[in-house]
Amino acid sequence: MGSLFVQLLVIGIKILVILGVVLGLGAYLTWVERKVAAHIQRRPGPMVVGWHGLLQPLADGLKLITKEDIFPRTGNRFLYNLALVLALVPAVLVFAVVPFGPEFEFFGVKVKPILTDVNVGLLLVFALGSMAVYAIALAGWASNSKYALIGSMRKAGIIVSYEVVITFAVMGPVILAGTLSTYEIVQQQINQKLWYIWLQPIAFVVYMFAMLAETGRVPFDIQEAEAELVTGFTVEYGGIKFGLFPLVEWYVEVLSLSAIAVVLFLGGWSPINIPFLGFIDPLFFLGPLSPFVWFVLKVALLFLFVLWLHWTLPRYRIDQITETAWKVMLPLTFVNLVLTAVLAPIVWR
Amino acid sequence: MIKKVFEKPLSWLERIFFIDFIRGLSVTIRHAFSKTITTHYPYEKLTPPKRFRGFFGHKVVDGREPQPAFDEWVERFKVEVEPGKSRCVVCLLCKRACPVPQLFEIEGEKLPNGKRRVSVFNMNMLLCTFCGFCVDACPVDCLFQSDIHETASYSRKDSVLTLDVLERVGRDWQRRREKEPDRIWIDDAQRMRLWYENDLKLPEVKKQ
Repeated sequence: MGSLFVQLLVIGIKILVILGVVLGLGAYLTWVERKVAAHIQRRPGPMVVGWHGLLQPLADGLKLITKEDIFPRTGNRFLYNLALVLALVPAVLVFAVVPFGPEFEFFGVKVKPILTDVNVGLLLVFALGSMAVYAIALAGWASNSKYALIGSMRKAGIIVSYEVVITFAVMGPVILAGTLSTYEIVQQQINQKLWYIWLQPIAFVVYMFAMLAETGRVPFDIQEAEAELVTGFTVEYGGIKFGLFPLVEWYVEVLSLSAIAVVLFLGGWSPINIPFLGFIDPLFFLGPLSPFVWFVLKVALLFLFVLWLHWTLPRYRIDQITETAWKVMLPLTFVNLVLTAVLAPIVWR
Repeated sequence: MIKKVFEKPLSWLERIFFIDFIRGLSVTIRHAFSKTITTHYPYEKLTPPKRFRGFFGHKVVDGREPQPAFDEWVERFKVEVEPGKSRCVVCLLCKRACPVPQLFEIEGEKLPNGKRRVSVFNMNMLLCTFCGFCVDACPVDCLFQSDIHETASYSRKDSVLTLDVLERVGRDWQRRREKEPDRIWIDDAQRMRLWYENDLKLPEVKKQ
């Protein structure tokens, strides 16, 4: 009885921590994005509210919450609101299978810093990832606006193409690790003394492209395409409902997919790797905190890289995007799969 | 010599290694870590160039009037010349030149000593297009455009420039910028070298 209570307590704390960190961080990443974008364009970005605009997300949130909730008269109210829930929930749910660090003992209780270590974690990630298309398709449909509908159709087209690609791209690491559990994949990389990016560079590049496409980041931000479609499927949303979509798409999803990329290719919480030889940890002085810092550092760097790409590249056309997915990326992942299958016994030893 | 006209198209090897992406990324990262070039507007302000076409003003009588035009107009209209007051001779040429003449409301009055002077000079800035025709038309260099460009007001009445306001702007201008050389940015030493018009010395013509 006592141990069950402790288990429940641990799970409850994990949920609170993950939700708080993810949603709070999501809000603050808007500030990070605005700063990065601004400095790339030689501007200082938000500077007035708080020190270097640090309180700007709070001010924005307050403004969005207090705005009038406008709804298009000819829209479908139920689907309109359902789309919001469908966007937010799967994106946050992905963090249930993201391992933040190795197992540790806390007052005699063994805690794995992962919410649910299901043995098909990756499957869950991509199942939830493809749920995002429903949110956007519904948002476009329920708004009863041509811009919103075109935006959501484009997004649906992209996700259908890139879901296939991303699934085949992660097959490589899965073969090398021999498991679908995210925690076990990291553990395997540590045991084999190998980040899978060294053997899977093609898969990593393809994964990055698919990640940009799924989260609607430049160069694949065709569903927003502010120059053509105003803001795509969010056109008819107002106030905090308008604020939630970019929050989910651009920040929470990018964050979750970056975390999955770190888990799959960059060895999760392990320090810098020399292939087949071992790990070098310049942060050893942090002691037991070092793995967590490594994980956060890698995710942050990947996220910043995505931002950097976003504010550098122009936008592809929809036909170019789907063409790349089916004609270039998918064959590449097949080739990668065959190569991995040949190489795998060397890694397994 | 061979002139380079276009970049060569990327080879397939360059495409595979995303050379085009890397070039773009290197440009943006360089900009990201260099100094920002922004003016933090309400806290810092740029000085507009001297020829900036902002709000209007009346230059006041201070002994620098264009001669002999000013004296001729004064004589013709028997204008009362008072130092520190507007140079306006109520010729209405500015109203004539204006594409929206109703924005001017100009009246003169006759003084007991038989001389005349301007009594009402209202300009409705809501109608103005800041084209500067009135300034060109002014024969006595009285009406001019200043560098005042923050022109928002709380009521329509505030956007009408009266004679008092015009004279105040004029006095302020004459104190601040009248003697300034006519270059583009007042606080830009770099521009001074490009905009050498003021330093240009014309070769003297030898008398035969």
